Amino acid sequence: MTPSVLIGAWVAAGLTLFMFSFLYKDNPFFRFGEHLYVGISMGYTIVRIYYDVMVKSLYTPVAQEGKWWFLIAALLGLLILTRFIPKISWLSRISFAVIVGFGSGVAIPRIISSNILQQVQGTLKPLLGNAGQPLLGMAQFNALLILVGVITVLVYFFFSIEHKGPIKVAARIGIYFLMINFGAGFGYTVMARMSLLIGRFDDLILFASRDFGYASLVLLGLIAFGLFLWERRSSALSDPDQDRRAAGSDPHADG
Amino acid sequence: MTLFLRRTFPLLLTFLFGVAAALQYYIPHPLSEAALTEISVWLRIILGFAMILGIASLCHVHYAKIRTRAAGWGYSLVVYLSMLATVAVGLWSRGQEEGTGFGWIYTYALLALQGTMFSILGFFVASAAFRAFRARSKEAAVLLVAALIVMFGRVPLGEYLIPAAGPLAGWILNVLNTAARRGIIIGISLGGIATSIKIIFGIERSYLGGRD
Amino acid sequence: MRELAGKLLRLDRRVIFVLIALATLIPLLRPIGLPVRISPEVRQVYDYIESLPAGSVFLLSLDFDPASKPELYPMAVALLNHAFKRDLRVIGMTLLVTGTGMAEKVVSGVASEHGKQRGRDYAFLGYSPGGANVIISMGQELATAFPTDHYGERTADLPVLQGVNSLRQVNYVISLAAGTPGVESWYVYGKEKYGFELGGGVTAVIAPGLYPFLDTGQINGLIGGLRGAAEYETLIGMKGKAVAGMDAQSATHFIIIGLILICNLFYFLTRHTTIRSFGSPQDRPGSPREAGR
Repeated sequence: MTPSVLIGAWVAAGLTLFMFSFLYKDNPFFRFGEHLYVGISMGYTIVRIYYDVMVKSLYTPVAQEGKWWFLIAALLGLLILTRFIPKISWLSRISFAVIVGFGSGVAIPRIISSNILQQVQGTLKPLLGNAGQPLLGMAQFNALLILVGVITVLVYFFFSIEHKGPIKVAARIGIYFLMINFGAGFGYTVMARMSLLIGRFDDLILFASRDFGYASLVLLGLIAFGLFLWERRSSALSDPDQDRRAAGSDPHADG
Repeated sequence: MTLFLRRTFPLLLTFLFGVAAALQYYIPHPLSEAALTEISVWLRIILGFAMILGIASLCHVHYAKIRTRAAGWGYSLVVYLSMLATVAVGLWSRGQEEGTGFGWIYTYALLALQGTMFSILGFFVASAAFRAFRARSKEAAVLLVAALIVMFGRVPLGEYLIPAAGPLAGWILNVLNTAARRGIIIGISLGGIATSIKIIFGIERSYLGGRD
Repeated sequence: MRELAGKLLRLDRRVIFVLIALATLIPLLRPIGLPVRISPEVRQVYDYIESLPAGSVFLLSLDFDPASKPELYPMAVALLNHAFKRDLRVIGMTLLVTGTGMAEKVVSGVASEHGKQRGRDYAFLGYSPGGANVIISMGQELATAFPTDHYGERTADLPVLQGVNSLRQVNYVISLAAGTPGVESWYVYGKEKYGFELGGGVTAVIAPGLYPFLDTGQINGLIGGLRGAAEYETLIGMKGKAVAGMDAQSATHFIIIGLILICNLFYFLTRHTTIRSFGSPQDRPGSPREAGR
């Protein structure tokens, strides 16, 4: 094993345990790790933007392929940064106008087609065009259930009319569909969070092996000891009796 | 003139780009396609600069803390030093990560930190489930039952104990969940389109910021 | 009994943390290896890749950052193993800046295990900002969207990309995603206009939200969460990290199910409660019905 991998394992295990120390309580180890993460991810992003955008998408086409008109895009990009200079910050509106205008315009027809028309088609098609399928089969039942669910959920979210009579009944059915959806979402969210935990523990177990010098175990002990010392120091600093004695106003003091 | 440049001109740009981008979808002419290709490249460059904006804001926040020696300013120093060190190593490695110091920082520092930060949520989900997930009403009971079936049926142990649990969880996802989500997707999409139209026609102007 | 129930409901959360930690640790150290049942949506992805002839173009967009690595990295490993085994032309890329290192590592790592050569058998395009805009750009002209690959080689000169002018010439795209930009972006801004086949591999958090797209056929398959990754590993006959994590997944789920059941049992023991509905006269402010007024 190379020294860089071994040192890397100790660093990774240590930083992982720093972050996990938050489970005990907010402490300097966690805060150090948290701020280190912010700094490193900012630095990483800067490097990636420099090479993947500035060099590849701007410098190379302009300097090596003669596509000088990309400089206009660069100028629009620079205008965004005028946001930091209050006197000329209004110039950034030009760039935001281009970004937001284009983004909004490009989204409209595509979302209508994919999220509305195709979804409506997908709801009705199984009910209307199932040649060869049995009329009273599970597929038909499911398709009907989906239709009922979609309509009742949409009725529930339609607040422009009062929910009474048949609308109220439909809305109440819609609520139950939504609750099932939220329940399934919660179940899957639990699955996701546990998976993340399993992934980190997997790495910690690997770094606890002899090949890596029992890194996780040693560092766990050191961090636990560090937390113990920090806890003691914090308690000593916030002890009110100690403060009173120091100020000489303790009524129980001898003298 | 100043008012035109500060307020009207950006709104005019939004309108022109918005309408052009929306109409382009329906015009398959080579010129129209070429325009879309060109604008998408320009946007990549502009958005790269926009990312710098986010980073610069963060830098400003932490710099202010260091300058005023606010509580926790030492941690802001950690942010700056780690950022500068990463940039220096990244430039030294010419942005390449395979076998370089830049790759080492990514693999052993960033991966560990970001991965662990979000994995802590696993513990809090369990704690929250115990403290707050109670069947206070019929609707909550339905939510709870659906969640329990999905959690039970989507793990090998659950399917081993009750073989029907897997298909039942699958049916809930493919039918009942699909129905509700479809309604939500259609609703959100309609709302999104309405907002986009409001932006293009200058009714919604919050993205411009400022007062005028 | 009520007093005990009340005390247990106010249990220090660190006790729960220890329970969860043990439920995760013990199965990882002592796995049982229960079989993983294959769901139809994962099999659809597998079957489609199996149906692609050698030389077909397969684009894998690793649109996730290190926070989602435990769920999506095993998926990437399994899919790349499958694709290289089938001798597909693989294109790797990412739409998330902090995912670049991971994406590069997994693509080049799995490729070298199969003896594949960069530029000839696979390409790694790297990262470009803009999400949906990058997809549009690639759909219009690949060489304009990525003039060079991640390593600085001109994409127009790479043998593996010969004949691939845009997304229209890509046979299958899979987006491994944890949010936006992700599978939905690839459909709305990509497949909708440029007509390639699309599959999804997503974290369990967003998986339920993609079932409507699976139902309509807008995506032809869906691999959801670590469970989905384990199913795919099983299909290709690989015992990877996802399968290894399934026992821990079972244990943690059962702990949480137990906690929820206990919590509800104690809840009903500690107070006189009848289950009511939101539509009842005791509606509280902020209930959904209130929102309708």
